[in-house]
Amino acid sequence: MTSGTISRSIAVPSSDTSLTSGLRRLVIWLAIFAAWEGAYRVIGWRAWQFPAPSHVVDATLSMLDVRTAFGDPLHAGWPRVDTPLHATGRVWSDSPLITANLTSGRRLLAGFAISIIMGAAMGVVMWRYSEVDKMLGPLFLGLLTLPSVCWVPLGVRVLGINESTVLFVLIMGSVFAVAISMRDGLRNMPPIYRRAGLMLGARGWRLYRYVLFPASLPAFAGSLRQGFSFSWRSLLGAELILTSVDDHGLGFLLSIGRDIGDVARIIAIMFVMIVVGIFADRWFFAKLQKAINTRFGFQ
Amino acid sequence: MFLHRMNVLAAQPRIRTPLHIAQRVTRGRLVMEGVGKTFPGTAVPVLKDITLTCEPGEFVVVVGPSGSGKSTLLNIAAGMTNMDSGTVTLDGKSTDTPGPDRAMVFQDHGLFPWLTAEQNIGFGLNMAGMAKSERLDRVEAALKMVHLTHTRTKLIHELSGGMRQRVAIARALVMDPAVLLMDEPFAALDAQTRTLLHEQLQELWCQSHKTILFVTHSVGEAVRLADRIIVLHAHPGRIRRVVDVNLPHPRQFDSYDISTLVTLVRKEIEDEVNRVNREMANDYWKPEDQSDQKSDVRGEGDGI
Repeated sequence: MTSGTISRSIAVPSSDTSLTSGLRRLVIWLAIFAAWEGAYRVIGWRAWQFPAPSHVVDATLSMLDVRTAFGDPLHAGWPRVDTPLHATGRVWSDSPLITANLTSGRRLLAGFAISIIMGAAMGVVMWRYSEVDKMLGPLFLGLLTLPSVCWVPLGVRVLGINESTVLFVLIMGSVFAVAISMRDGLRNMPPIYRRAGLMLGARGWRLYRYVLFPASLPAFAGSLRQGFSFSWRSLLGAELILTSVDDHGLGFLLSIGRDIGDVARIIAIMFVMIVVGIFADRWFFAKLQKAINTRFGFQ
Repeated sequence: MFLHRMNVLAAQPRIRTPLHIAQRVTRGRLVMEGVGKTFPGTAVPVLKDITLTCEPGEFVVVVGPSGSGKSTLLNIAAGMTNMDSGTVTLDGKSTDTPGPDRAMVFQDHGLFPWLTAEQNIGFGLNMAGMAKSERLDRVEAALKMVHLTHTRTKLIHELSGGMRQRVAIARALVMDPAVLLMDEPFAALDAQTRTLLHEQLQELWCQSHKTILFVTHSVGEAVRLADRIIVLHAHPGRIRRVVDVNLPHPRQFDSYDISTLVTLVRKEIEDEVNRVNREMANDYWKPEDQSDQKSDVRGEGDGI
């Protein structure tokens, strides 16, 4: 079958999914963290300049209202676990890390949805009308090179410092990537589907609804994934700068880490950002893309 | 236009009345008159003054080298490509836009990968607004016709190349078109599958009495299938020769009599196609001229 040759070129190497490979990677990561921790304890860095992994664990847990002290020097009582803060009356789900994740997640969903709808629509228009593409294509590619936080000053002057500015930066940082990726995906869509649809009597909106829309699903899945990574990065950048907005997202927590000089907290939040990003990409968007590609016989 | 019509089998006794005449088929008369087409930005027309009539129920095969515009001719008949001059009518109606009366089978099948085999076959009926129960009956009959009832719920990428083309043929025939347009449908298949599909296509054609306009670059395929072969010249594409093939259908490709006749026709046409190819090519490479090249070929290890 022809699909065999395609799958060979784009499939993830099979060893990546095997258990031994996963174990091997786990061991390597443990070794790196052990070496980092060991170096900290032997060389004697100062924790406020560069912390050990144990400090990062403490910082992460403290943002979940659990006070631990894995980073303390080794002694008889190690590790010390203090009374959790929620004994004071605050519920665990109100801890800074949880609320920040919820805030960032809510913003992401709203902005990402707008960005996908607008970007996909622009991508379709650029694909359909080459005159529009000639005009907007180079402009969009140029705007793609602009770091998303560069939209902050404009947003602040025009919209003020509020929730909509954060969304503005998020959307401007991702909508062009979505549009370009949608257009390119549609361009790679075999033209034969359109011809076959016309031949079978699909006209007007029916051609779009029953032929072109389903045929563009692989392209759409690709632009969803692209759009997410751009949205996530833009959002965090915007939150990092726009700290006086009422709701506090992950970027805000990072700026707090800088302001109070808590390097362990900074690393802990960066770590959380990476984990959330990877989780969404690998466990949602990649799986969605794979499901669509499997249906189409691409892998 | 001078149209040299010849019958290489004139010396042979006429075997039988052509099927479409015997069956008294009246639907599916495809008439092309003076069709010309030049693609924008090119000087030489891809088609020039093509006049061709496919009688109802006739199996016409267009054969020609690359660049002779044979696929363009088919696309014009399908209404997917605009022509610059001339007229094309099917049963008296113009074929400007694509329509279900002219079903097409593409080389790379053009089946929808997001639908199953039976959904693909039923797609055109669905677009035509046919009621579900009738649609399912028609799809069922079409699946039976191409012997694919066991793969009804399979996705396209789960089917072999030959099965995909059979689904594509079923998808076209289920629309009950007046003419079936086939654009090198078997070119991407292996030889065994191709032979099998040639037999099945003949069988289908004998049952359905459709007019078929079939495009190929393979002379052997043309001789196996055609009532009439149209040989195209390239640059510009125009009709070079028309050959009637008076062999009975369905044809047994391995019988001695048939293969003798096939060889005869094939020889006649291959000379024509080779001549066209030679005219097109700037340098004509002859594999048998190796004697004087030998001394030029020197490489490491010659002295061993």
